[in-house]
This record gives sequence, C-alpha cells and structure tokens, in this order.
Amino acid sequence: MKTKRLNWTLLAQRLAFAFLGGGMLLYALWPWLPLVHGKPPRTLVLYGFSILGEVMNEGIFPAFQEVWAAQTGERVEFISAFASSGTVTNQMIMGVPAEVAILSLELDALRLVEHRVVDGPTWKALPHEGVVNRTPFIILVRPGNPKQISDFADLTRPGVGVVHPDPLTSGGAQWALLAEYGSVTLQGGSETAAYEQLLGIWRNVVAQAASARATRTQFETGFGDALITYEQELVRDRARGRLTAEPVYPHSTILSEHTVVVLERNIRPEQRELVDAFVNFLWSEEAQRIFVAYGFRSVDESLNSANPDFGYIAAPFVVADLGGWIAARDNIVNAVWKERVLPELRR
Amino acid sequence: MRTDRLTQPPLGPAQRPLRRTTPLPVGILLAVMLPLILMPLSAIYLFAGRGGLGEFVRMLSSPDAQFALRFSLLIALATAVTNGFLGTYAAYVLSKYEFRGREALIVIVNLPVAIPTVVVGTSLLLLWGPIGLLGQFLDPLGLQPMFAPAGVLLAHLFVTFPYMLGAVKPVLDELDVTYEEAAYTIGASRWQTFRMVILPALKGGLFSGALLTFAHSLGEFGATVIVSGNLRLRTQTAPLYIFAQFEAGNLETANAVASVLATLSFLLFFILIRFTQRKV
Repeated sequence: MKTKRLNWTLLAQRLAFAFLGGGMLLYALWPWLPLVHGKPPRTLVLYGFSILGEVMNEGIFPAFQEVWAAQTGERVEFISAFASSGTVTNQMIMGVPAEVAILSLELDALRLVEHRVVDGPTWKALPHEGVVNRTPFIILVRPGNPKQISDFADLTRPGVGVVHPDPLTSGGAQWALLAEYGSVTLQGGSETAAYEQLLGIWRNVVAQAASARATRTQFETGFGDALITYEQELVRDRARGRLTAEPVYPHSTILSEHTVVVLERNIRPEQRELVDAFVNFLWSEEAQRIFVAYGFRSVDESLNSANPDFGYIAAPFVVADLGGWIAARDNIVNAVWKERVLPELRR
Repeated sequence: MRTDRLTQPPLGPAQRPLRRTTPLPVGILLAVMLPLILMPLSAIYLFAGRGGLGEFVRMLSSPDAQFALRFSLLIALATAVTNGFLGTYAAYVLSKYEFRGREALIVIVNLPVAIPTVVVGTSLLLLWGPIGLLGQFLDPLGLQPMFAPAGVLLAHLFVTFPYMLGAVKPVLDELDVTYEEAAYTIGASRWQTFRMVILPALKGGLFSGALLTFAHSLGEFGATVIVSGNLRLRTQTAPLYIFAQFEAGNLETANAVASVLATLSFLLFFILIRFTQRKV
C-alpha cells in the first residue's frame, strides 16, 4: 500500500471482470427475461431410442409443430431425450416425466408394464399395434469389402472382427441376435446350425458399446471389419454423402419394429388432446413419408419406393415369425445367447 | 484435489530462490505434457473450426446448444452462490468451535471429492427419485426434484461442496482469534465482527472458492447424467449435450460446444490466478 492514488490497472481489471461476469449472466438469463416473449409454448415430453434423434428433431417435430399451429394456433415445443432403448426404459422406470416413448423393441415396452409404468400392453390399441416404422438389420463392411463378407455366415470366419452393440442395454443388439439366429432357422436350418452361427459371430466380437449409435461411432473410429446395424443408419449417411463403409444385405434378415408407448400416468388432463394428436400424427402419411426420407421403412409398404437407397432383401422376416418377442427372448436371447453362447465364450 | 494452495500465501521469490537450469528438464516436462494435455486441448479447437466460422456459429446457435450453455451457466452460478453461503458457514463452524465429532464431520463434509460422481447421482436418485426413500412421499404431492433443474442443482451442490470449504477454512484457521476478541471488547456484535473483521480477510478465499465451484459445476457430468433425465431444453447441461451429440455421431457439433466450454474454463482459471495474485 504505497499511495492512495487510483490504481488504473486494478480498476481496469475489475471493470473487465465485471463486464465479463455481467455479460455472462445476461446471456444466461436472456430467454427467461420478461422482455420480448409472448405466451410460453405448450410442451410435450418424448423419450426415444438412439437412432430416432435426427428424424424426430429435424423431421417429425417441425412437421407436427406446423400441423398443430394450423389447427389451434398454439406453439408446441418438444422436450426430448434420446439414448439406448434400455437406458430410456430404465429412466422411465425411475420416473422421468415422459409422455410418449418410442422404443426400439416391444420387449422394453413390456418391461414398462412389468414395473407398472403403463397398465398392460396399451400400445396394441394403437395403429399397427404400436409399430411406427421398421428397418432391417444388415452388415456394414470396410470400403471394397476386403474380407469378402456377403452374409451372416461369413462373420463366423476366423480373423473377421465384428463390432456389435451390447444386448444388455441396446435394443438394436437384441434385434441383431434374432437376425443372426432366425436367418438360419427360418431358412430351413437346424437349431444347432443357428447356435453355431451365433457362437461363431460372437467369438469374433471385438468391441461392444451400449447403444447402436455408439457402436457405429466405434466402427467409424476404426474398430473391426464388420458392423451389424440398422439399415437406416447407412441410408441416412449415404444421403448426406458421408458413408465411408459398404452395406452388405444378407439373404435373410429381420426387420426391426419400433414401438410407440403412451405413458398415461404422466399425462395431465390438459395434455390429453395434444398427446393424442401427436401420436396419431406419427402414422399419418406425412409423418410416414418423413420416416422414409430419413431411412426408416414405413409400415405402409407403398411409401417405401420413395427412397431409392433401400436395399433388396430376398427373405425378410419379423419377430412374429419367431413367435413374438416373449418367445424370442426366452428361446433365443436367454436360452441360446445368454445360457449357451456366453458361457462357451468365457471358456 | 487440494485447493488451499491457491488461497494460502505461498513463499515469495525472496524466500524461495529458483535455480537456473539447462533446457533439458523443461524439455522433458514439455515432451510429457504435449501429448498428455496440450495436444488434446488444441485438437478440440482444430476439430471445432474445421467447417469454418459460419458452420461453427450455426452449430452453436441451435436452440438445444444455446439452452444447454445457458442452463449450465445458471446452474453453475446458483451452485457457486449457494455453496458460497453453505461452505463459508460450515468452514466457520468447523474452524472456530470445538465439539465432539468435529474431526469426523470434517472428513464427512470433504467426502464428496472422494466419491465417484456417478455414485452421487445414483444415491440422490434413490433418495429423491419417485421410487426413492424420501421421493416416494413427495411424488404423490406432485413434488419431483429429480429429472428437473432442482435435481441438477442438488447434485452440483453435493459434488462441489468441499471446494468452497477448502478455500475458506484454511484462511479462517490462520486468522488469529485475538482480532475477533478485540472486536468484541469494543462492543461489536457477532454479526458486526463477522462483517467487519472476518469477511474482509476471507475475500480472497471466498472469491477463489466460488470460482472453483463455478468451474467444477460447469463441467460436472457423472452425477448430472443420472439425475437430470437428459432432457433437451429442460435439464440438459452443456457437458450432457456434448456427450449426446458425440453419441449421435455429430462430432462437429459436440466440438463446437466443447470448445466454448474449454474457453470458459481457461478464462475462469486465468481470472482465478490473476485475482488471487499468487505466484503459480
């Protein structure tokens, strides 16, 4: 403390700091300041599985916002979260305030029933029993297909590294299991042959991630030679010119079906009309066309020709061909993969 | 993490002469630090800027990204202010009073630095969540702190609690009790003593403690991802947004927000060093 003179540097520093702090505060508070904003918008809370993020945020939400605004003049905002199907389901069991959920498989929806988040399989009453769109499971390989992979059977060859989502959390991974198994049994193969194929593929799994999306990121960062994933992902990437891998369409594979669940207990009475309108909109021709544009196959077959990037599958099948999800879970996921393949791999 | 280094006056250059050195030790240090710290940090900026400035701005100005940044700043501010009071009070009690269990209490309040943040998130959920110990009674009342901004704040208060304490308590410990006693003898009330005697001494500690808390809250991930429900436009903080974009394969978007967050952290760190006037 030499003199009492004004210390300009210190003052300048303090001013700069005050401006910085004040500026940050103003920026942070801006949307909540009562200056320019009109009526707050209606909101709808939607939880979805990983690959839906883009089509919902960029396609479905804006389209419905227009429809709803034209009908009622109200602005509606979507509060949404996208993660792996299992994670989303667990979050709903833990009590997140979701009003509508789109899960990658009916099994997760059944888990919601088990935990009394919804009363019974209410989605069966929705159009197409709650199935909003589909996409087949196919194989993605490195450019030029250096390992000469043409079907699931080739993934069992020694030296092929497979990147696979984790069936414990990923809905996509469970679909992939059914594809790997059902593509044998439904084509006249024996159950032993199907088991052998599943075991062979899983022996070659070099990396696993929690969701189908994360697995894709893993594959893109250079892991493995082949990835089993949703066709939707590559159709989307090809449309954007970002596809750095080659799709391989198996002779026979499963079409995954994605289930819409309405969570009645989280819907306040005044939200009823909005939720119903949105859920119905999902099966409208407009919404189905958006799904097709974003690489999902519509439940209305006639719309699918609109996307030239959909590949040809000689013998597609659905989970109903395997006896429905409960039978598929018990007989394939649990009895074969969990109880026979996994212990065998540990040995 | 030890925080008292930043608040306690270190020895000046006069007492602690630095040795002259050949370039070798410095070179080795740089060689280790380059791939460990410096290169990853510059990679963020390089990737964020790859699409050009227009693209960078476009990614930052999406409503989700804007919300995430604003929400993070507000939560960090609220955390710093709340823990500023709570932490100072805790530091005062623990520093000035002698009571049974004081040592144990000191350990307990510092515990949050040792617990993995994911565990903090899970435990909060099991306490306040709709199926939690307390939450199951709140849920029928329509109160639901989890999956809402309140839950995020709770998690951040928990996780950052020790930082304020660590910054303030050492100063209080050093502060001679005779100053306080002198104030009382001339008739000052307890509040007056606190305001006129203790608070001025604490200024530096409070400031650096608040900044540390703010910075940690800004970057908190583990507990937040569990308690927030990861809802865009409602509870998604900037780190959660970055992770969600990374998971969705939008590396550029993730990097744009990451670079803003990194810049903010640099700025905070710079201020922390500059204003506490310490030799680092």
